[in-house]
Amino acid sequence: MQDTLNLFVMNIGQWLSANLGTLNNPDQIIVEIARWLRTEFGNWGVVGFILANLMATVPLIAVFSGCFALTTWLERKGLGRIQNRYGPNRVGPYGLFQPMADGIKMLLKEDIVPERADKIGHFLAPVIIMIPAMTGLVFLPIGRNIIAASIDSALLFFFAIGSIVSLSVFMAGWASHNKFSLVGGMRAIAQLVSYEMPLILSAVVVVMFVGSMNTSVIVEAQQIKSWVTSDAPALQCLGQVLGWHVFQPWGLMGFLLLFVSALAEANRSPFDLPEADSEIIAGHLTEYSGFKYALFFLAEYVNTFAIIGICTTLFLGGWNGPNIRPPWSDDPQALLIPGFVWFFLKIFVLMGIMIWIRGTLPRLRIDQLMGFAWKFLLPLAIINLLVAGCFYHMEWYFGWPFSILILCKSYAIVVRLNKSKLVNSNRTYTYA
Amino acid sequence: MIITFCILSVFIIIGAVSTIRLHNIVYAVFSLMLLFSAIAGIFLLLMAEFVAVAQILIYLGAVGVLILFAVMLTHSVTGSSGKNIYSNGWGWGLLLSLSILFATLLPAIYFSDFPSDPAVEIIEPSVKKLGMEMMHSCVPAMWLIAILLTAALIGGIVIAAPPQKR
Amino acid sequence: MLPLEYILILSAVLFFIGLAGVLIRRHVIIMLICIEMMLNAANINFIAFWRYNPNPELHLGPLFTLFSIAVGGAEAAVGLGLVIAVYRFYNTANADKFDMLKDS
Repeated sequence: MQDTLNLFVMNIGQWLSANLGTLNNPDQIIVEIARWLRTEFGNWGVVGFILANLMATVPLIAVFSGCFALTTWLERKGLGRIQNRYGPNRVGPYGLFQPMADGIKMLLKEDIVPERADKIGHFLAPVIIMIPAMTGLVFLPIGRNIIAASIDSALLFFFAIGSIVSLSVFMAGWASHNKFSLVGGMRAIAQLVSYEMPLILSAVVVVMFVGSMNTSVIVEAQQIKSWVTSDAPALQCLGQVLGWHVFQPWGLMGFLLLFVSALAEANRSPFDLPEADSEIIAGHLTEYSGFKYALFFLAEYVNTFAIIGICTTLFLGGWNGPNIRPPWSDDPQALLIPGFVWFFLKIFVLMGIMIWIRGTLPRLRIDQLMGFAWKFLLPLAIINLLVAGCFYHMEWYFGWPFSILILCKSYAIVVRLNKSKLVNSNRTYTYA
Repeated sequence: MIITFCILSVFIIIGAVSTIRLHNIVYAVFSLMLLFSAIAGIFLLLMAEFVAVAQILIYLGAVGVLILFAVMLTHSVTGSSGKNIYSNGWGWGLLLSLSILFATLLPAIYFSDFPSDPAVEIIEPSVKKLGMEMMHSCVPAMWLIAILLTAALIGGIVIAAPPQKR
Repeated sequence: MLPLEYILILSAVLFFIGLAGVLIRRHVIIMLICIEMMLNAANINFIAFWRYNPNPELHLGPLFTLFSIAVGGAEAAVGLGLVIAVYRFYNTANADKFDMLKDS
């Protein structure tokens, strides 16, 4: 025991002196730590083998559960401020320990299972919903070379795994043996399945342009390579930002479509009819209390993070940001500020926008929701696909006006086609 | 490799047998989901990752939910499937399928000469090649599939829609 | 490595279970499910033969399997639509009771 501790300390010292002397590659610090840990674990036999394989997944789960806790706090404070009140501010400084209090409350609640409920289904539904939520995190490129699974068809895998959520929602609604939960579950599944179409079609545009479904390749393709490898720092900064897909016309439309479909897939307001605060019945979650409800909650937030991660990967440049190459290093790909800083910044900005939308917009009815998916988002996604295909083959002076014109015109047409035919469409609001 | 295959095939057999023997229909559909997942695992084992993903996306995500919706809409409250779930001619059916297995399929496998190792050790899983193949030589098939799916979509909605009130 | 016969035997047994399910069960939806099971058994066969082929770069195995999956999905959709329509008429999903066209 004493000599393994000595060995450990000596190894840390060696590693620090070897790597932090020059810090050649500042953004690869996590990759270096991982590689050192892997060589260490290689010497430990079977236990080391297991630990080396857990090294990719356990930090991912830990980090995103920490993000989940931070997000619940941020959401309650943000919603409170939007609604002109303080959020929770008793538990810690600014209420920062509120997620811990929430967790303790959830664990201590009594776990009520209805008497005629399907025991196996009722138990398995929260377990099964965690699987797609957590597995979806695996395909996010958090930094340069920091990705848990770099597969050739990673994006398709992500969408396939995300479609398993509807199965678990059905199980929850059915096993509760409650007609209201069944109808709520059916509505939730209808919403999830309907919004998968614009989600996948908006993501396909990016695959068409980049030529690969591998998420790290998609992020690499959003840098303007000739600017990034040049020597001027300003060009390096701009080259990493201006190449994002959101700054192209098809990219902007695709990002908006993907973001709205992500709001619906994650059951967040204004699409949260299944689990709304002001509805009497919580849909498929009616008969769940205590820790099972906490698992559903956690799975929903982690799913939200995964989809936001895919939004930033596809359109907002992933781990790119206004970085410069450190002048002391000789690696042409090194960056000064690590990529995961920008990635988490973008995720939290998008999460903040989702919280803002939640506090601001009213909720949609179920028929408005379904009509929105099939009659508004889907035609726009298909037209976006066509326009992006044409854009690819045109020169820039022809492509930009063409695509902007067609996209705006098609948006106007779809809005006009969806106008409600009610007589009293112009409402007058009187403020108190 | 063989261990993985054995585990997956155990899941497949358990899923398949439970599907045809369970009394509760919803449990039968859940065991079918288990079957589909295990088949996706076999596809991954055989280095066909695009097909595995398509299997999960289509069968687990879409066809499974469709079957569950249909179970929901045709579920009779009295549970008439409780007592006897087997049809009237189940003996002949079982005999026919056993004879197809033991007289046709298994002898065909037994008397043929199959390689015991794959010819190419490592296949690079490449979606790009699949896409090129699909768009170069299989374009007529893609058109037909598009027409077929459109027809199935419209036909399914028209058939399943409630009768129009005059 | 795995001999090809094992995978073929697995898919043959899966096909047999599906066929038995169609012929044994009374509930129409279970029959449709067992048809899907038979389709899946055929898909496993396609991929197994593609894998053990001396020329797998053409990717014809996965291609054909994708078409098979698509057709299977379309057939499930239409079949379940039919089941719903028939249930609306007979008010039962027991296939032995669909006997209005019977000559007796």
